[in-house]
Amino acid sequence: MIGYIIRRLLMMIVTLFAIITLTFFLMHAVPGGPFTSEKQVLPEIQAALDAKYHLNDPIWLQYFNYLKGIAVLDLGPSFKYPGLTVNEMIVEGLPVTMKTGVLALLCVVALGVPLGIVAALFRNKWPDTLVMVFATIGVAIPSYVVATVTLYIFALRLGWVPTFGLDDWRGFILPVLALSGFWLAFIARLSRSSLLETLNEDYMTTAKAKGLHPMQVLFKHGLRNSLIPIVTVLGPVVANLLTGSFVIEQIFALPGIGRHFVLSITNRDYTTIMGITIFYAAFLMVMIFIVDMIYLALDPRIKLGKASS
Amino acid sequence: MTITAAHTSEPILSVKNLSTSFFSDRGEVKAVRGVSFDVYPGEILGIVGESGSGKSITCMSVLRLLKANGRVLDGSAVFEGKDLTTLPSRQMRALRGNDISMIFQDPMTSLNPTLTVGEQIIETIRAHRQVSRADAAKRAIELFDLVKIPSPSKRLKSYPHEFSGGMRQRVMIAMALSCDPKLLVADEPTTALDVTIQRQVLQLLKELQSRLGMAVILITHDLGVIAEVTDRILVMYGGMVMETGRVADLFESPRHPYTQGLLKSIPDLSSGEHQRLSPIPGSPPDMLHPPAGCPFAPRCTHAMGICTEAVPQLYCAGDTPVLRAGQAARCWLHHADAPEVPEVNAREHEGAA
Amino acid sequence: MTDTIPSEVASKAPAAPPSVSQIPADKWLKVGPDAGDAEYIAAPSLTYWQDARRRLSRNIPAMLSLAFIVLLLVAAIIGPWFSRYSYFEQDLALSNIPPFFETYEVETGTGETARFFLNSGNFKVYGVGPGGEVEGLLRATKKDLINKQHRYEFGETAVLMDFKSLPARMLDAETGEVIGTSGWSWNATNWFGTDQLGRDLLVRQLYGARISLTVAFVASLVNFFIGVFYGGISGYFGGAVDSVMMRIVEIIATIPLTLYVILMMVVLQNGLLSVVVAIGTVYWVDMARIVRGQILSLKQADYVAAAQTMGASTRRILTRHLLPNTMGPILVTLTMLIPSAIFIESFMSFIGLGVTPPLASWGTLTSEAVETLRAYPYQLFFPAAAISLTMFAFNFLGDGLRDALDPRLRK
Repeated sequence: MIGYIIRRLLMMIVTLFAIITLTFFLMHAVPGGPFTSEKQVLPEIQAALDAKYHLNDPIWLQYFNYLKGIAVLDLGPSFKYPGLTVNEMIVEGLPVTMKTGVLALLCVVALGVPLGIVAALFRNKWPDTLVMVFATIGVAIPSYVVATVTLYIFALRLGWVPTFGLDDWRGFILPVLALSGFWLAFIARLSRSSLLETLNEDYMTTAKAKGLHPMQVLFKHGLRNSLIPIVTVLGPVVANLLTGSFVIEQIFALPGIGRHFVLSITNRDYTTIMGITIFYAAFLMVMIFIVDMIYLALDPRIKLGKASS
Repeated sequence: MTITAAHTSEPILSVKNLSTSFFSDRGEVKAVRGVSFDVYPGEILGIVGESGSGKSITCMSVLRLLKANGRVLDGSAVFEGKDLTTLPSRQMRALRGNDISMIFQDPMTSLNPTLTVGEQIIETIRAHRQVSRADAAKRAIELFDLVKIPSPSKRLKSYPHEFSGGMRQRVMIAMALSCDPKLLVADEPTTALDVTIQRQVLQLLKELQSRLGMAVILITHDLGVIAEVTDRILVMYGGMVMETGRVADLFESPRHPYTQGLLKSIPDLSSGEHQRLSPIPGSPPDMLHPPAGCPFAPRCTHAMGICTEAVPQLYCAGDTPVLRAGQAARCWLHHADAPEVPEVNAREHEGAA
Repeated sequence: MTDTIPSEVASKAPAAPPSVSQIPADKWLKVGPDAGDAEYIAAPSLTYWQDARRRLSRNIPAMLSLAFIVLLLVAAIIGPWFSRYSYFEQDLALSNIPPFFETYEVETGTGETARFFLNSGNFKVYGVGPGGEVEGLLRATKKDLINKQHRYEFGETAVLMDFKSLPARMLDAETGEVIGTSGWSWNATNWFGTDQLGRDLLVRQLYGARISLTVAFVASLVNFFIGVFYGGISGYFGGAVDSVMMRIVEIIATIPLTLYVILMMVVLQNGLLSVVVAIGTVYWVDMARIVRGQILSLKQADYVAAAQTMGASTRRILTRHLLPNTMGPILVTLTMLIPSAIFIESFMSFIGLGVTPPLASWGTLTSEAVETLRAYPYQLFFPAAAISLTMFAFNFLGDGLRDALDPRLRK
């Protein structure tokens, strides 16, 4: 078990290293990018970049310097805004992104899973049909369409919620809805099919044949096992909630990291693009690691299977 | 010939005219069509048949463990004076795992992979007995000892995947025995196991049965298993009972072409001479559209016109002299007007019993 | 011993046998096996693909989706040829025209009726023909920006466009009374209206479909080939090759791929080709895993061993035996890849990384519509509806295909 955790941690570091390397060299390939000589930036930024990365050094030395910065969690200066560092942008935007992100994740899990369970238990009856209709709509409509349409209807026309900002709790409703919509629907569908599959398992018949109470059969034997596939997708869900926040923060004008990221793309603020990408990647690695640990706790089969190999 | 004790007492389970169908989008699958049989205390009844013959469904119907689209349409299953087909679900639950317990075919999938085997036994005990966890755990250790699982107290904390197939089936047996059932239904308990392990598990079952004195229904498609451990047999085909009788009688003097075909299709190792195995040609009927007559008629070498038109009754010892006491066969050849077919209804076997 | 007869002896068969006297002698004649089968018609045995096609054709949502997709493809391919407009032609005089409008009618004094409508988003007045054709921007004869009233003259009749209070109204210049509308009219000139540069939205929508579908299909195909190639090699060779290749896939799978599409786009600069390359080279991991899994399980299958015993070559085994049997799950994955490619493309366009103007995709159309959401909310409708319906269609089709091709569901 400990061997498995160490292996996962090592794997995480290798992946992160691969991402940093890939990002660095991709940015190096950009014409007019931060590591080329043909760029036209403000002199003070040029000076900051020079001081940081010694741009006249050979590429491998620059790469080494960049790695050194990341090792001490320093993502360097912005390419477009004098005096601003990527770290400052992340620290500024993180609370906003986290607030909406965590709320959306809660929505996805706390609503999606129960909806899927209800649908499975009432298979082919009206609650199932209702859940599946909503789930199908939710999976098909892209988040930015949900965001813009609800923004128009509920904020601009009806005025029930503010059009931007998170000053009041109502401001959260639409961004969280748009952000979680697809994954809520996805998790509801997955929970439904997973529980249906579990209900068909032989050990469910065994549990019934043992004379256990139906609730015990459902919760102790059914739910626990059907949660396993749901936990495995939570990693990617977190990743997608984060990337989804790019457009959502843009549409609702929320000052989160996603908005900084999109702005840095439009402004071709290369060092910020690079820094935020690496930050995101690292964040996601950690999330996926946490999810894996939950998975490990839920499914005893994995302990022997992987640790011994 | 000895008469088993079973037959002198009241049956513990009496199934009458049981009919079960599954309803799919393709139509009604008539899995069980009017099956009747008795199980007496302390006996091992074997139910034998090919897959799809309705043998498992019969027992699942009795225990009310059918999948959502299956329904018992007719018949009764009386266990200790209570009709299980109409029993309120609360009482049914109190019976399951307690008075009647079940062992399933595949020990790989029948145990919950995410709970320790100890937990799975303890929860069974605690569902039926008012005992503390510690006492239930103690009982679980006893049970592991009983089914010969080495170092039981340690193995209790293991997960199913940490056991071999044979060991898992032992766990299943221990679980089924946890509340001293009066009737144990074993649905193909050895099919999924290696041949050597099969014998061990079978021996264990037989031994435990004689030690604990419960009745056992052993469902199998393996006649070897039947010959080894059961007292009486029920041969099923196409959702019906084709032939029944004591093991020795059926093996010595089968009186239904299907039973004869089954016996010819297994090698007789004791005979020592080389013999040709003859499988029954054809395949079991599609129960979505079962044949109008005898379900076996399309594969039967003796099939007559009448066989394709009407289902014969179950002829018993009194109806024709070739059938021995306790033996019964569902075949038109036992009809008084039927032509003579030596293997099935030849009169020279008269009084052989 | 007679008292030991078990109860089954007494049981009745479901179909009661006829009594002795009723059975005619000829019924006792031997007919042999299979006689009873004569009337019984077995379900015709179908090949895997025939069966799958039959199942799919019974799935109504999937068939409707397929019809929708085919229609969409036809519209995207040939639609723009039938339009008078091109996707880049601008007419600033006719910008932001809605697809339908409320018209006003006034007498010109010479017995003719002038029709016009007021675009409440930009306070401009346009002439309308009898069939709903937009005839052009009308010039105000007098603009009073202090009182917020513009004067328009139609022959002898003069009207005032009043925008002191919103929404703007039309007033009779003489009496100052509000003129009622004469009813709704569809825009016969630009069926979907025009955008803020006066471009026809219908033709842009069709071009958008072209771009979005091209990106989706080409990128999915690229992913498909990479995935099949990678997974096929990994699964076929197995052993060390397999474990190294799968370790790489494992690493790629944990990388947030959207971020990488974004990075690729930043590096490659905007454009159609860049979008295809960025999306096409990133999402093949699932495909590779599925192909590998299929190949691995099929390698164990008996018929492959049979082919090997009979001396079939590696290439022959791969192309004749393995690939056809792996097609089912691969096809489903491919169908599901297309809507996600459409989504990613529109997502990228939405955040400003996509095709370059004046080219349009559904994503850029949506994001352009969002810019003018307050004044012209209807501009959002068509691109949003198009992309949502297409996603619906591909999802239903994918679900239908999976149900049709899943051997586990086959009986």
